[in-house]
Amino acid sequence: MLTSLLLVPLIAGLACLLVPSRRWMAALNVLAFGVTLALGIALVQRVLQRAAVAEGGNFLYADALSAWMVLLIAVVSLGTALYAGRYFRRDLATGVLTAGRVREFYVLTPLFTAGMLLVVLANNLGVMWFAVEATALSSVLLVAMYNRQTSLEAAWKYIILGSLGLALALLGTVFLYAAAVGPRASAELPNFNWSHLMTVAPQFDRGLIKLAFVFAFIGYATKAGLAPMHTWLPDAHSEAPSPTSAMLSGVSLKIALYALLRFHILTTASLNADFSRYFLLGFGLCSMFLAAPFILVQKNLKRMLAYSSLEHIGLICTGFALNSPLTIFGALLHMGYHALTKPVLFFAAGNIHQTFHSLEFRVIGPGVVKVLPVTVLLMGLAALAAMGLPPFGLFLSELTIVIGGLTSQQTTASVLILVALLASFCGILQQLSRILPGARRPGDPAREARQMDGVPAMALLLAGLCLFSVWLPAPLLELLHAATTIIGGKP
Amino acid sequence: MNGPTPAEISAQLITFCAAGMLVFQLLLIVQRMLLTNIRLFALQSFLLTSIAGIIAYFHNATHVYLVAALTLIGKVVFLPWLLDRQVRRIGISQEIEPLLNAPASMLLCGGLTLLSYIVARPFTALERLGNNTLGIAMSLVLTGFFLMFNRRKAITQVLALLTVENGVMLAAVALTTYGMPLVVELGIFFDVVVAVMVLGILVYRIRDSFASMDTSKLNQLKG
Repeated sequence: MLTSLLLVPLIAGLACLLVPSRRWMAALNVLAFGVTLALGIALVQRVLQRAAVAEGGNFLYADALSAWMVLLIAVVSLGTALYAGRYFRRDLATGVLTAGRVREFYVLTPLFTAGMLLVVLANNLGVMWFAVEATALSSVLLVAMYNRQTSLEAAWKYIILGSLGLALALLGTVFLYAAAVGPRASAELPNFNWSHLMTVAPQFDRGLIKLAFVFAFIGYATKAGLAPMHTWLPDAHSEAPSPTSAMLSGVSLKIALYALLRFHILTTASLNADFSRYFLLGFGLCSMFLAAPFILVQKNLKRMLAYSSLEHIGLICTGFALNSPLTIFGALLHMGYHALTKPVLFFAAGNIHQTFHSLEFRVIGPGVVKVLPVTVLLMGLAALAAMGLPPFGLFLSELTIVIGGLTSQQTTASVLILVALLASFCGILQQLSRILPGARRPGDPAREARQMDGVPAMALLLAGLCLFSVWLPAPLLELLHAATTIIGGKP
Repeated sequence: MNGPTPAEISAQLITFCAAGMLVFQLLLIVQRMLLTNIRLFALQSFLLTSIAGIIAYFHNATHVYLVAALTLIGKVVFLPWLLDRQVRRIGISQEIEPLLNAPASMLLCGGLTLLSYIVARPFTALERLGNNTLGIAMSLVLTGFFLMFNRRKAITQVLALLTVENGVMLAAVALTTYGMPLVVELGIFFDVVVAVMVLGILVYRIRDSFASMDTSKLNQLKG
């Protein structure tokens, strides 16, 4: 089952090299991600029955946390594949992209997804590192897709910063291995598997595990886009084609955070929570506070959305750092809701981009609603959700994190979270209210708007968000509780 | 007869090779000819291969021979060949003036090496092979970072990344006799090769679009 989860997108990606037409490639992508989602749901059931599933001689391993991440990956990939078909048809029609480049997208995106699935399903932490690097390598050419000077610059920053970060993460992984081997002379570790490491964590070398965590933290945090290592993030998100931006923001950041969490859990099991969680807390809060002013000064729609992702990833990180069961639960929930919301915003930005041929606020606004009413309606709803307004789920998860923080006596951090949330709330509201409503400027040329492009994908994700905002099915709730116990939550 | 034991010989040889790696790193930092830089990197990787070979021979670890062979094929032969071809095709042979000149870079890297030795000190008890191999590994990582920021040609930045990788692999050897498990080593090898190929594609596109591979021209995205 775990093997087929990895193989389905991998084979679909490679098959797209051979398939003749774009239509078939799009269909193949949608089909592959549909199957992935179905397998993910089946995996959730299996995990709930037996706590953990291992396969291939313990090479692949899934617990509740991995199963939750698999769901997020599958949902965002499926949404992206549904949206991408119309998006690229239009880009081909206007001649922005060549057919070869579009094929690149359909080949690399499933490989990107397969890489992310391997990150969360790998048992060996070295293989996990390898998979994170593979996601970076498969997505960098997607970022460079438009081949503009700016997109090449963004791709170069992305790969260089990402690779440097991952080199540090590899160093951290090496230190962890050394910490696990311990002072026994010339011993070879029986294996480097997560399931084994957790049982021997208390015997780790204390100095080395600290060093391992620090290096792995800096490394994976760079890939997760936590401030101040986030500088590649707004560039890559704004220059990539919108479907790729949605994947990067919707799941890729969280996958890096997942890798980070695994190290956090091990360090906590070996020392206690107080060493690693302050790193998460500091960098998480820093990201939230840095995002707010940058949202306010952005002049480009997708860059603003990227900074909003930075704020959300900071909040998720802070939620884990507060380390009470309630905040961890809230952070996990927030990951899910954010994965349903952010792609909608990026898809809408993609529609706006293709209609106005720009993402600059002064070109597209005010009065986008007059040109693209349906897109703006969906975008407005998703934006309200992303700002954290009720009745959407993100309000619920943010509230859970803040209440969890307050009840576990971490008042300062909780108040800081509230302040940062409020600041970016005002930022997004101010920016979007400048461009979405109102009348077009006089003398504005008529735009060729295709009202229904991409709407099904957006509506589907939003419907999912609304549904899960008011109703969390019992198995999903159980899964989240199980994942919360894995991450910790004991003081 | 009280000659040195095999363990002592291997420790001496490994220390010697590791020190050689640091020497090549420092030469890389002051050298501006791109082709020479690539050769220096190949030599440094060859020393890493030798270290793996020495370990495999003296500790009878067959799987380390495989690691040595992979490093030899990948980092000593294939990647230098690939980069060499790229430099020739692009036709730029020399790095423009780096941010810091050679004496200042040397001084700074001396400081970084000292810092690495200080950081590595508490862990010398855990080092299994050679003296201060961990210190050298850390200084390769730090000076590799410096090289990355000091240079502006895309190719040199790729080389800097590769020397950081060499440092990490040296740390793996220094701390854990047999290096990482084979599956991880294979993964790392594969990743490094693919990374350089992807970077190569980007370098070509940057070159086509900017008529230069000077990364300081990549400065349009701000804020």
